[in-house]
Amino acid sequence: MTFVNPWFLAGTALIAVPIVLHLIMRRRPRHFEFPALRLLEKRHETNQRRLRLRHLLLLALRVAAIALLAAALARPSVKLSGSWGSQEAPVAAALVFDTAPRMDYRHENRTRLEAARELGSWLLAQFPADSQIAVLDTRPGPAAFQVDRGAAKHRIERLETAANSQPLVRALDEAVALLGRSDLARREIYLFGDLARAGWPRERAAALRSRLAAMPDVGVYVVDVGVDDPTNSSLGDLRLSAEVISSRTPLRLETEIAHRGLGGERTVEVQILARGTGESQASQLVPQRRDGRTVALESGQVAPIEFQIRNLDVGTHQGWVEIVGQDGLPWDDRRFFTVEVTPAWRILVAAPNPADRYALFLTEMLAPTQLRRTGEARFECDVIDLGRLANTALERYGAVFLVDPTALEEDVWRRLGDYVSAGRGVAVFLGRNARSVESFNRPAAQELLAGKLLRQARRPDGSLYLAPRHLEHPILAAFRDLAESVPWQLAPVYRYWQLDEPAGGVHVVVPFSDGAPAILERPLGRGRAVTMTTPVSDDPNRQPWNLLPVESWPFFMLANEMASYLVGSKDRQLNYFAGQTVTLQLDPEKEFRTYVLAPLDSDAPEVRLTPDLRRHMLTVTSTDDVGNYRVQAGGIASGVDLGFSVNLASAATELDRLSDEELAELFGPVPYRVARNRHQLEGDRTMQRVGRELFPLLIALLALTLGLEHVLSNRFYRE
Amino acid sequence: MPAAESYLKPEVIRQIKRLDLRAQFIARGFLHGLHASPYHGFSVEFSEHRKYTPGDDPKDIDWLIYAKTDKFYVKKFEAETNITGYLVMDLSRSMGYTYRQELTKFDYAICLAAALCYLMIHQQDPVGLITFDERIRNSLAPRSRRRHLGDVLSLLANLKPAGKTDVAHSLTQVAAMLRHASLVMVFSDLLADPDPILQALRRLRHGGHDVILFHVLDEAEVRFPFEGVVEFEDPETNDRLQLDAANFRREYLDELESLRQVYRRECSRTRIDYVEIDTSMQFDKALTEYLVSRKARY
Repeated sequence: MTFVNPWFLAGTALIAVPIVLHLIMRRRPRHFEFPALRLLEKRHETNQRRLRLRHLLLLALRVAAIALLAAALARPSVKLSGSWGSQEAPVAAALVFDTAPRMDYRHENRTRLEAARELGSWLLAQFPADSQIAVLDTRPGPAAFQVDRGAAKHRIERLETAANSQPLVRALDEAVALLGRSDLARREIYLFGDLARAGWPRERAAALRSRLAAMPDVGVYVVDVGVDDPTNSSLGDLRLSAEVISSRTPLRLETEIAHRGLGGERTVEVQILARGTGESQASQLVPQRRDGRTVALESGQVAPIEFQIRNLDVGTHQGWVEIVGQDGLPWDDRRFFTVEVTPAWRILVAAPNPADRYALFLTEMLAPTQLRRTGEARFECDVIDLGRLANTALERYGAVFLVDPTALEEDVWRRLGDYVSAGRGVAVFLGRNARSVESFNRPAAQELLAGKLLRQARRPDGSLYLAPRHLEHPILAAFRDLAESVPWQLAPVYRYWQLDEPAGGVHVVVPFSDGAPAILERPLGRGRAVTMTTPVSDDPNRQPWNLLPVESWPFFMLANEMASYLVGSKDRQLNYFAGQTVTLQLDPEKEFRTYVLAPLDSDAPEVRLTPDLRRHMLTVTSTDDVGNYRVQAGGIASGVDLGFSVNLASAATELDRLSDEELAELFGPVPYRVARNRHQLEGDRTMQRVGRELFPLLIALLALTLGLEHVLSNRFYRE
Repeated sequence: MPAAESYLKPEVIRQIKRLDLRAQFIARGFLHGLHASPYHGFSVEFSEHRKYTPGDDPKDIDWLIYAKTDKFYVKKFEAETNITGYLVMDLSRSMGYTYRQELTKFDYAICLAAALCYLMIHQQDPVGLITFDERIRNSLAPRSRRRHLGDVLSLLANLKPAGKTDVAHSLTQVAAMLRHASLVMVFSDLLADPDPILQALRRLRHGGHDVILFHVLDEAEVRFPFEGVVEFEDPETNDRLQLDAANFRREYLDELESLRQVYRRECSRTRIDYVEIDTSMQFDKALTEYLVSRKARY
């Protein structure tokens, strides 16, 4: 307990006055004649005791009144937590600002960050002299105390939102660590933020609590500059049908639009950057509107949006999907994308004689006749006899599929191995023609295959089927959304090759329902080889090994995904979230010593990048700003022109706020105070520093005591 | 002390208006009083007139009343009653007390006694007066003459309440003094041990006397209107007592009630009329009690 005017406590000595008065100057009672005194005398004793008690009560009330008055004038305060000391002692304070994109939400013509900056600047002026002040934000970076108050003020004024903002909890963690290094007794943390749920991930809360609990004398103030009922339209994360597509297939863009606040119509458009047509714009990329949708939305409603963009030329295309018009938060109104369009992938399908019959099911799955006719097939399949494999130039193909191969020459296996090592893909579908087990188990073949063939396993009852368990592999990515609902059991597998222990580096992509491997992958050099232990070429009417090609749409998808994977279209990631490291594959035949990274949607300067020529990769780490980026080298005509996009994850701009209960749960037993304006902040700080002023309470008690005294004395000495 | 006549002043008369005893005090208004009174039947009995009945001498008819009422009344020449009344007045110091009333207990008792005396003498009942404190101080032999009224009132007017009292002893003396069966009307606040007083009263009854015990208390003694811490002093003994009055009220009133209860019970047992009055009450209660008592007797 502390006192503002401790010398007033001496006033409590005055309680002696009523005691003395009580003892020596007791008020004389009024005197009356009363003949019926004898009637009073009988019960006088009990009344006398009560009278004495009342006198003592009255004395106690008077003493209490004087003591309360003295105590109230001394202005005591009780400190609920935190350090002890004078209000004017210097303080080590960490002002942590949330600079997440959400803080750009504009309300009453001020962004949340502007509101936070204003409160922060005001707060800065309130700190006692010689205070140590650190201004932190949620951008990655080291935390340190500012040199002086002016530097802190300058730092606050320069705060900006950033796409690569970290959760506020992380910055708070740093602030705690920083204050832990301060030698000042009083330490305070101020968190300026919008209290959005996205800024306070629960998984980090436990660590934060334990850290704060270890420093119980740190005062924690949460300065809430958020808006309770924001009005905002937002786009969800953009999903592309593929980041590398064939020129023959359309680009499908999927997202959703969500809205909160007053309902109305919103228009969503797709813009794609294209070279300008005029002379002045010949080298510039100009956005062209390719499609648009208008949706009517009520508050809280979410509507899916899908666009299909056709006729994209071969090359790298960039653009964005955006909500037309302005709203409170611009960050979530535009989602960028980059897609690379390649010519249709050529796939070599090699099969025993008659090759066309063996390859029929596979080629129909990869390039259906109907799509071939309309020119929309993603893949272009060349079918050859296995015997011609040795003389075929494999380099022209993105992948090679061996359909129920017979025994091959070792040279052929070696060629295929080299082909894979160079970064291509080979798929081997083992079937009834692999009778010569020894030839498949020779070292040259085993370089490529997933393991040695042991025997044919039979399950004539049809109870065996493909049963993918984990869908992490890129081949199975298309099934992730479908999960359990895929009817794999519709296509039974009657026979398959059992393999010996898989070779090193081999892993099972898809097992059978009994756990035996069905599809295995073996990385080799820069490429990969896939082995499937049952064929895809059996006629369903002639004791087939399985009914996969004829009975199962899931296998149709699986074959296509496998082909896409083997040709390398799934390796390329062109769309990233802010803060992620971008890795671009370089064509080994077209590499340069330096590349220029140019952001298309910001004023950031161009950056020169040096590639990893050994791994044929270019790594970009400066992805803090969202937008489309272009990486170029060697000039427009004969050089390299790559691109990628950086987006903000939609979760980062969710404006849902933490409830009081959630905030309390986050902090757990750690005491904290929430303020929304200067007045509350000042009150909280005073209470935390000085403690709770007991003056009003004491005055109320004094009034109560005086009132009681008045009532009782009037009752005792009524005139 | 007011003059003797003051006991017959209008405010005193007004107190007994509802008993219609006005005619008993004011001769000229006698008949009017009769008609106005709800106790009409009573009044006739102790008026100076009675209704004419066949056999009465027509010359005795009061024509003046006939002129006013169209009814025949004959003048009553003989006393139709011969009850002897004694007004026994307590002269103790405590009787001179009042807290906030116009009349002390003693004044009140004298008014009452005077009114009763007037009533009785006008009925030609002989009335005597006995005053006492620790013993009998004055006694006036009963007479029924009109002039006796002046004597009684004169004596009453000169009385002063002072000193201590011994009600029981005095009443015992009264019992020994009265030879013939009489109506003894005792005016006292009875602020003494009730047992000896009741004993003396029983002795009076045993002597063949009818007793009306007027227990006269001050309004403050009945209601105990005091608040706060008060010091009380007994005017007779000068004993003092300090207490918290407001909180003591309930206990005091209980005590008073138990005292009255004792008198009520014992008086009822010995057929003594016990009349509880206080100085804020109208006189009619006491007078009605007297009338009821007299009627029951004759």
